[in-house]
Amino acid sequence: MNPFDRLLKQLNLTPAGVLGLAVLAVLPFVPPFNQEYLVRWLISAALIAAGAIAFDFTAGYINIVNFGFYAILGFGGYTSAILAVNFGLTPWIGVFCGAVTAGLLGFLTGLLTLRLRGIFAAVMAWFVGLALMGLATKMVWLTRGPLGLRTPRLLETASNIPYYYLILLLMLVTYLICSRVVTSKVGIAFKAIGQNMDAARTSGINPTYYRILNFTLSCTLAGLLGGFYAHYYGILTPDIMHTSKTVEVLAVAYIGGRGSLWGGAAIAFPFILAMELVRSGLSNLPGLNLILYGLLLILVMIYYPGGFAVFFNTHVRNTKNRALNYFLNGAAART
Amino acid sequence: MSDRFIRWCRSAAGITILATILLAVAASMDRGPYIIVNTAITGGMLALVAIGLALLLGVMNVASFVHGEYFMIGTLVAYYVFTPLHNFLNTNPSPTLALVAPLIAIVAAAVVGAAAGALTEIMVFAPMRRRSRENWVMNSFLLTVGLAVILINGHLLIFGADFKGIVRYWVGAPVTIMDVFISRDRLFAFLLSLIVILAFWVFMKATRTGRAIRAVSQDETGALMVGINLNAILIFTMALGCSLAAVAGASLLFLYPSYPTVGLEALYMAWFIVILVGLGNIIGALIGGFMVALLKVLTVEYIGAGWDFVVPTALIILVLIFKPSGIFGSEVRGVLDQ
Repeated sequence: MNPFDRLLKQLNLTPAGVLGLAVLAVLPFVPPFNQEYLVRWLISAALIAAGAIAFDFTAGYINIVNFGFYAILGFGGYTSAILAVNFGLTPWIGVFCGAVTAGLLGFLTGLLTLRLRGIFAAVMAWFVGLALMGLATKMVWLTRGPLGLRTPRLLETASNIPYYYLILLLMLVTYLICSRVVTSKVGIAFKAIGQNMDAARTSGINPTYYRILNFTLSCTLAGLLGGFYAHYYGILTPDIMHTSKTVEVLAVAYIGGRGSLWGGAAIAFPFILAMELVRSGLSNLPGLNLILYGLLLILVMIYYPGGFAVFFNTHVRNTKNRALNYFLNGAAART
Repeated sequence: MSDRFIRWCRSAAGITILATILLAVAASMDRGPYIIVNTAITGGMLALVAIGLALLLGVMNVASFVHGEYFMIGTLVAYYVFTPLHNFLNTNPSPTLALVAPLIAIVAAAVVGAAAGALTEIMVFAPMRRRSRENWVMNSFLLTVGLAVILINGHLLIFGADFKGIVRYWVGAPVTIMDVFISRDRLFAFLLSLIVILAFWVFMKATRTGRAIRAVSQDETGALMVGINLNAILIFTMALGCSLAAVAGASLLFLYPSYPTVGLEALYMAWFIVILVGLGNIIGALIGGFMVALLKVLTVEYIGAGWDFVVPTALIILVLIFKPSGIFGSEVRGVLDQ
């Protein structure tokens, strides 16, 4: 195995994945994507993609739907923004403070609910999200409420392209962290808990411990993404914590394929661009794009639970062609 | 008897009920009796929605996120049935029709709500159940999430985002009870909730179908073995639960005009009640409806509107720390684990 392959294997990437990232990297220079508004779409798609990875880390492995995902993401964003506005802390440190506080919030929520049935954690995270949104709306002296909090931006540039690379990097880091964890020993425990709780417990796994670990890590990553959100858009309103945002990430993660991590990220770009086209092209039919979200989510849940990832793994990856096989699966699969 | 009463008073259920009553009395002496009146009216309707949710949880094991949307369907149907009737009455007045028109609207909402619920079971849950029972609770929850998105945005797409409301159902001077003026609509909403709950109770206790529903909630396989038509019962339960929510929506149309996300508050409150009293506990949901209504009224009264999402969450955290199975306990398929 040559050093390149070994590196890829350690990073849990395949040559196809690297090519995908490379395509994404040159995309803002290729017409028609070299227009500013399309770069903004790409950024929002990358944000959703990164969110879907962090979301799938919980939903796909320990089978807990974090229904307050965007609220926790927004909590991280608000922490960073408030630190920057009230104490003049540079956003580059603030985003990490935001990530830590979001992780702490996730830890406390998990501590409270993860010893109970999975549905408690989902509903409780939702309640926490609603309460946070209520607080952000009502604590006007701190958050300026629905008027929106003006935040300093991360980079002093009017162009969107540097931000695009930043969020791509964040997405990659999110993927590397999550895939690193799920391929480790801890990841096996996660999968065991997600598949069969009793069997996992019999094998000496403490479900509560691993679930809280997973939940906290996922929330920390969400907080980091929230920091990016806050300091990219330059304005933060309580709307960021709305449940519909969580539903968006949830739909992308499940349509992409639960338990695959990369599925959601891969599907996010074409999906979000298509949805934006539907929304802006058919603006006389409001809500149509969200109806499509819901329909796709239901259809995938009922008829194709594995989503895009299972489709890809069974129909595309199993090829006899050696070069193509290497391209799709990396060097590891050949031996 | 007194011994049993004392023991009940010292149980979690007794303590909370007594504390709620004391709180209600204290608040009414402080601010006036309208607190109790408001609590009773909101509580009845909240209880209707929560009972439907508890029924779905208990019988079908579906943690429904879409329940508020049946409330929305109820408001929508009532609006589109009542408005033409109202316009008709304006041109040719008839006291009988004026008396019956709101009832027609509410019954229509109940029927459409039941049909929507049955359709949901047939088109969404039944295919899912046939496919796989694995991780049923989480998967069905996600299905309801998708369904909620579709219904909310379907409303937006077809009927638009504007408020579709009515001024009142019944014309006439408000009724005075305990020095509080209550509009006839509110009084009727309260009475209707009591009647519906009573009818539901009798149905569950005294009829064969009600017994079959309870049997399914206790043990699905056992129910199949004694010859209960499981699929029919599941469809019927879903229709019943959704119909209750639609009735609540229809009879509160004068308070909550119909718009796409009108059901969200009802959903939130119903979930709050259900977690507070214990998943799937139907009597608990009934009492919990009134307790949560009191909490809501007190929050708005003393802290201010807009905090009614924060206070319940704080309370739920306490419940989850000290008594995760809920105040009245849950007999449905364990609180711990999957």
